Amino acid sequence: MATEARKKEIFEALYDGVVAFDEDKVVEYSKLVLDEDVDAYEAIMDGLAAGMEHVGELYANQEYFVPEVLMCSDALYAGLDMLRPHVSGKEARVKGQVVIGTVEGDVHDIGKNLVKMMFDVAGFTVHDLGRDVKLERFVEEQLKTDSEIVALSALMTTSMLAMPKVIEMIKARNPNALIMVGGAPISQEVADNYGADGYAKNASNAVQEAIQMISRLREMGKA
Amino acid sequence: MAEQKRPRQDTMSSGERMGAILMRQRPDRIPFMPFIFGYCARNVGYPIGAVYNDPEKSFWAQMWTAEMFGYDGGAMYAYASMGGWEFGGEIKMPQSEWEQAPTVARFPAQTPEAVDALEIPDVATAGCYPIALKFNKIQQQFGMPIMVMAFGCFTPAGNIAEVDVLCRWMMKRPEVAHKLLRKCTDFSKKVVDYYVEHFPNYPMMGFTGEASAANQIISPKQFEEFVLPYQKEIHAHILQSGIRNIFCHICGEQNLNLKYWAQMEYGDPGILSFGHEVDLTKAIEVFGDKHAIAGNIEPQVIQNGSNQQVYELCKAAIEKAKMAPSGYLLMAGCEVPVQAPPYNIYVMKKAVMEHGFYD
Repeated sequence: MATEARKKEIFEALYDGVVAFDEDKVVEYSKLVLDEDVDAYEAIMDGLAAGMEHVGELYANQEYFVPEVLMCSDALYAGLDMLRPHVSGKEARVKGQVVIGTVEGDVHDIGKNLVKMMFDVAGFTVHDLGRDVKLERFVEEQLKTDSEIVALSALMTTSMLAMPKVIEMIKARNPNALIMVGGAPISQEVADNYGADGYAKNASNAVQEAIQMISRLREMGKA
Repeated sequence: MAEQKRPRQDTMSSGERMGAILMRQRPDRIPFMPFIFGYCARNVGYPIGAVYNDPEKSFWAQMWTAEMFGYDGGAMYAYASMGGWEFGGEIKMPQSEWEQAPTVARFPAQTPEAVDALEIPDVATAGCYPIALKFNKIQQQFGMPIMVMAFGCFTPAGNIAEVDVLCRWMMKRPEVAHKLLRKCTDFSKKVVDYYVEHFPNYPMMGFTGEASAANQIISPKQFEEFVLPYQKEIHAHILQSGIRNIFCHICGEQNLNLKYWAQMEYGDPGILSFGHEVDLTKAIEVFGDKHAIAGNIEPQVIQNGSNQQVYELCKAAIEKAKMAPSGYLLMAGCEVPVQAPPYNIYVMKKAVMEHGFYD
């Protein structure tokens, strides 16, 4: 069994590996987690996820841009793929579920994928519908999965007009579903007008907004 | 509208007004060029896709809409998703009520090997260029100047490989990214050469734009390495070919890239249009001595805002930029959304007529 000092060393290496998009390092230390019988869930949360939260800050501060974040994401998933199968049943319980997609008429999905990643790493079950998603699919998937959150993304001013329609469609079938909207043309005012519950201010803070949404949901869970 | 002023009378035609801008003279008023494509098709009852796949309908939809709203500038053929189709992929024309422009349906080169295998296309048969050329021939019949859609480098590369693939190559396989950008640049130069050869001694303006290089995606350092040298080369080639002016649409959040855009040539003068993310005062400070400035009316407001909001936004832009040393053109920060209320476009013109005159 690893000592606390050794665990700290491994978690820091995982954190650093994600932040420095050093996939090899993440794989190496993920293997050590398993070899040295370190708790896989702790390694994910205190190593990989913590690293990715810092990446979100670097992105928001314009120290990292999309190419760096994509590389961090690759390192993150290299570790997640190794560690997740070893998370115990109790710890692996789902924190929540999110249906995510870029709305019909819009094929731009980089922002959506970043938000998806943050939900993913925080332990949510993510139902990614992809891009250019027919509006009915959001409704169907929310009902089918009973997801707490539906996250809608749009980059284009024309496709953003699909958002109020799909929000209305989802709320009509399940008033308790929480809707998050984001994308370049969306503002807080627009999100409010559209009847959304959450808002990712723009592409640069979408990751942080996703983290905040997760926190809010956690608080709701505690309540 | 709360504000009502006595309408002024134009003393120049649209052609004279644009001519004055290009000769560094003060026109009677600032020109109004909304930057409008798919809207025109919808406005006259055509499918939005017609503005991209039917040269005749595209030309007339744009001309009739210009007549209706009384804006300056004529018609042009352009869209942002160029690259995929031209290099062997597939394009999807806008069809549903939520779409306004073509999108790449199949990316032609998503592996380094596929990039190696890409051949520089023949302009006459590449993707949208046959349509663009028919469109330009119609313009020529009516004696209108032609905008040479000069393809570009970074955005087309993203449309060939997909943006996230290109981003990963920039980090892990920069030589692959550079190879793709080289091919895009070479094709751009070929396009310019084709136009110069097929429209000899005809008035033309180069048209370039860059959306995917915005700081919402890449860093200024990445811009310096992966965009600047190629874009600079394309601009230099346009001007060396005898085309005197370049209209360049610097799309999205590009504040951190402005120092690099300032290192490029645009002709004497060029016209540089900006998104709402770049403040007009900043744009004038960096480029205004040498080039006319255009933009930055936020498309989202044109679509979703009240007519008063649109008017005030335009009035503020005019007051800020009207006295730019090389002139200012009122323009949307990016394409006018197809579902914008017609009255919101009318009030853009109204703001120009009430605040845009020079005497």
